[in-house]
Amino acid sequence: MSKMDLALNVNGLTYEIRVEGTATLADVIRNEIGLTGIKLMCNDGDCGACTVLMDGRPVLSCMMLAIDAEGTEIMTIEGLADADTGELHPIQASFVERSGMQCGVCTPGMILTAKALIDENPEPDEDDVRAALSGNLCRCGNYQRITECVLFTVQEMKAGE
Amino acid sequence: MADQFSVLGKKVPRKDAIGKVKGEARYVPDIQLPNMLHVKFLRSPHAHARIKGIDTSKAEALPGVKCVLTHQNVPKVHPQRKFEFLLDETVHRPGEEVAAVAALTPEIAEEASRLIEVEYEILPAIIDFEKAMEADAPLAHQDYDSNIYHGTEIVDIPRIEEDGYVRLVVGDVEKGFAEADHILDGTYITPLQYNCSPMPRSVVCEWEGEKLTCWADTQLPLYLLRDLSGSLGISQGNIRIIAGHTVGGYGGKTPDKTATLTALIAKKTGRPAKAAFSRAEDAIGTHHRIRYKNYNKIGVKKDGTITSMYSNIVAEWGSDTVVQYICQGSAILGACSMLYEWQNSKVESVGVLTNILGYGPMNGFGDPEAIYSVERIIDEAAEKIEMDPMEFRLKNCMRHGDKAMEYEQVLYGPIKWGILGSDLDSFPELIERCAEKARWKEKWMGWRTPMAVDGYKRKGIGISIGMHHTSFWRSSAIVKMNQDGSATVLSGAVEIGQGFATATAQVVAEALGIRYEDVSLNLSDTSAAPAAIGNVASSGTSSPVNSARIAAEDAKRQLLELASQRLDVPVDDLETKEGIIYAKGSSKSVSIAEICFENWQITGKGNNPLYQTIIDEKTGKVIHAYAAAVTIVEVEVDIETGEIDVLSIYSGHDTGRTINPLIVENQIDLGLTMACGWVRSEEYIIDPRTGVVMNPNMLDYKLMTFLDMPGSKDHHRILVERPSAWGPFGAKGFSETAMTALAPATANAVYNATGVRMYCGSLTPEHVLKELEGKDFSKV
Repeated sequence: MSKMDLALNVNGLTYEIRVEGTATLADVIRNEIGLTGIKLMCNDGDCGACTVLMDGRPVLSCMMLAIDAEGTEIMTIEGLADADTGELHPIQASFVERSGMQCGVCTPGMILTAKALIDENPEPDEDDVRAALSGNLCRCGNYQRITECVLFTVQEMKAGE
Repeated sequence: MADQFSVLGKKVPRKDAIGKVKGEARYVPDIQLPNMLHVKFLRSPHAHARIKGIDTSKAEALPGVKCVLTHQNVPKVHPQRKFEFLLDETVHRPGEEVAAVAALTPEIAEEASRLIEVEYEILPAIIDFEKAMEADAPLAHQDYDSNIYHGTEIVDIPRIEEDGYVRLVVGDVEKGFAEADHILDGTYITPLQYNCSPMPRSVVCEWEGEKLTCWADTQLPLYLLRDLSGSLGISQGNIRIIAGHTVGGYGGKTPDKTATLTALIAKKTGRPAKAAFSRAEDAIGTHHRIRYKNYNKIGVKKDGTITSMYSNIVAEWGSDTVVQYICQGSAILGACSMLYEWQNSKVESVGVLTNILGYGPMNGFGDPEAIYSVERIIDEAAEKIEMDPMEFRLKNCMRHGDKAMEYEQVLYGPIKWGILGSDLDSFPELIERCAEKARWKEKWMGWRTPMAVDGYKRKGIGISIGMHHTSFWRSSAIVKMNQDGSATVLSGAVEIGQGFATATAQVVAEALGIRYEDVSLNLSDTSAAPAAIGNVASSGTSSPVNSARIAAEDAKRQLLELASQRLDVPVDDLETKEGIIYAKGSSKSVSIAEICFENWQITGKGNNPLYQTIIDEKTGKVIHAYAAAVTIVEVEVDIETGEIDVLSIYSGHDTGRTINPLIVENQIDLGLTMACGWVRSEEYIIDPRTGVVMNPNMLDYKLMTFLDMPGSKDHHRILVERPSAWGPFGAKGFSETAMTALAPATANAVYNATGVRMYCGSLTPEHVLKELEGKDFSKV
């Protein structure tokens, strides 16, 4: 096994670390950087729980080598709330207010995937939300409520404009 | 009604919400301790084999390896009432642990486990549970004389008979069949299902001197405490289990031997150790929902009276005992007495051992499996007499006063029937409200008439009722008043995603008369919390939440007595609101904060009473705790592809009293989605020759997705509130009822759509196509 030097930009900070060439982005962020908001449900690209945003687009961090993420901007769930004020992102606030989670393992992946959707399409309808999130599994069966939370965020953001 | 309360019934935000949306909630796999070792397991590739020789020298020589455990160097103990030893010289299933390896990284541990050389003597294995019952079948356990479970020293079931059957009888079934106009029978296999917790099993152990701390992803910290204490031979006081944020387990979060082995490694090496299963290990190395083969026979009169019901339930246990027998007790009771007012009923049930993974509890705990078959033969009976299946259920469903029992009584005795509480009158109301919401009368076109036919696509509608025990069990809690007037609840139960922390805080705030924000919780730390059953069998509301309510009332009593002395006002003339104690009709008041500051430490204690103490005044009989559910489903079946689409769901539930509507709806959705998966897509495949699970991953084992469930306009939750005798403020455990009624309703809807009764269990496209093969659809 060979170690490689890597500069990784996560949530606006650059981490200079030495990692195994075979290490996944999920393992490096969880174990080396210590941001454990990335959750591993399948560790096999099947469930969406480990989703992070890479240059604003959702990617599965368990399916990507850490060394391939160099030069990109990565956002994990820890980077979503306002860094200065601590204020929750509207999607996070909506999940809190409407019980958008149960055991919470799929929650970070759901929220980040929903953020990518709203950033790209600020007015998605129910079908858009269900399609965008269809790669994220929730074993607690919270699909109705999660859809409701995302749609409510859309309405609130629209009203706030 | 909810207006009489200040916190109860309100949609307050969950106590665990902010941590979970920010990624701050710490789960067991997230724990990293300095110097921590990682544990991996070598697992048996064989269904049944004896270990003739095991050579660990190459593994031990690999740099970074710190400890290797095999059957030769661990204590010979049975973890949690299992047949198999901690590490056994004989392996009884593919995937059974043969050795545990601890190393500096998980990768080294895994590599080392592959360097262990094992010489196996292959033993005859029995995979098929029906063949296992035959006299000349190979034995699943060589040191047990039969594959039919008939009691052992490890698990003693007093009511098990010599032939391995447990029986429950009401009236006289033969007399009942003689009175019937029609007799119908059928055999139903229930689908396989993997709990598939969002996070695979994990545990971290660390010792300081003689004290063990164990961070465990478990829904039963108390049982783990007992098990570790017994297996390691140390006192419970020297073990601290912290369950923290437990991941949804749906009945599967019991780490048993994984925790013991990890604790042994940590002890031996003097370093903390962590075992975290991969998804594949979790899929083959933890227990799954029991498979049942149910034979049902029903007698019915032309006017819709049910005269007799007989059930023979064969439960496939797999290779070891977890608590299968208790699930089976629940299934027996479910089939015998819980749904309909049988006058004559007999159930007999047997558990069968095989050399595959172990089966155990999963959401519904025996009830979904019993109800899956009962609710289908009920449909067939309604068809025989040409009665609307909704009306047939309305006529026969259980009501207040009908006979009831605890399922432990089925196994341990005494067989003494009590009654159901008045809340069970909710069955007729739920049937009527669901039917109205679904517009059943318009959509039900009569037997053998689908709702619509469009080429290959056929629409149908079906109904089922369901029920689950709400588990009023022993549980204890402490409410500690802090010196600023806030309260901390100490409870041994677990927040597993079901909303336990939030519900407890709402109930305690209501009972104390303080704000919801002023209640915090310290859950499932066994060094601080009094014993609680944990969170299983929908017991949360009726058991640990209820004991927290009793503790809060105890603290409140003390607060009022102190306030009474201080204000010179009798206790009865005091009232409390948002943390202030007022004298009624005067300006005198004192804050709870002042009382708490002056009196140093006020602590309330709560112990749930025994179920036997809740007696109906009129009859003198024990009142038992159940919750009712009704589900109507519309499906579209594509007879060309075998695919079933669930178009709409109408699901009615009785919560007793809704503590938090948001959380109640979350829990309903959980059961409905899991039941959809159970009946439509979640089938794990066991190789019939080797017993190996063929799809231990989340691609080939198919959970429901957003797109598999109906959209918001077609997803309906209907709530009724009939306060129960057992729970806090009339609330009761109901969550698992959502799992019980959807699957049979779906199967009945598929019959309505296709005219074919499918007895195969899982209704995956593959099975549906097989069932439809050769059927003539030209007429309807």
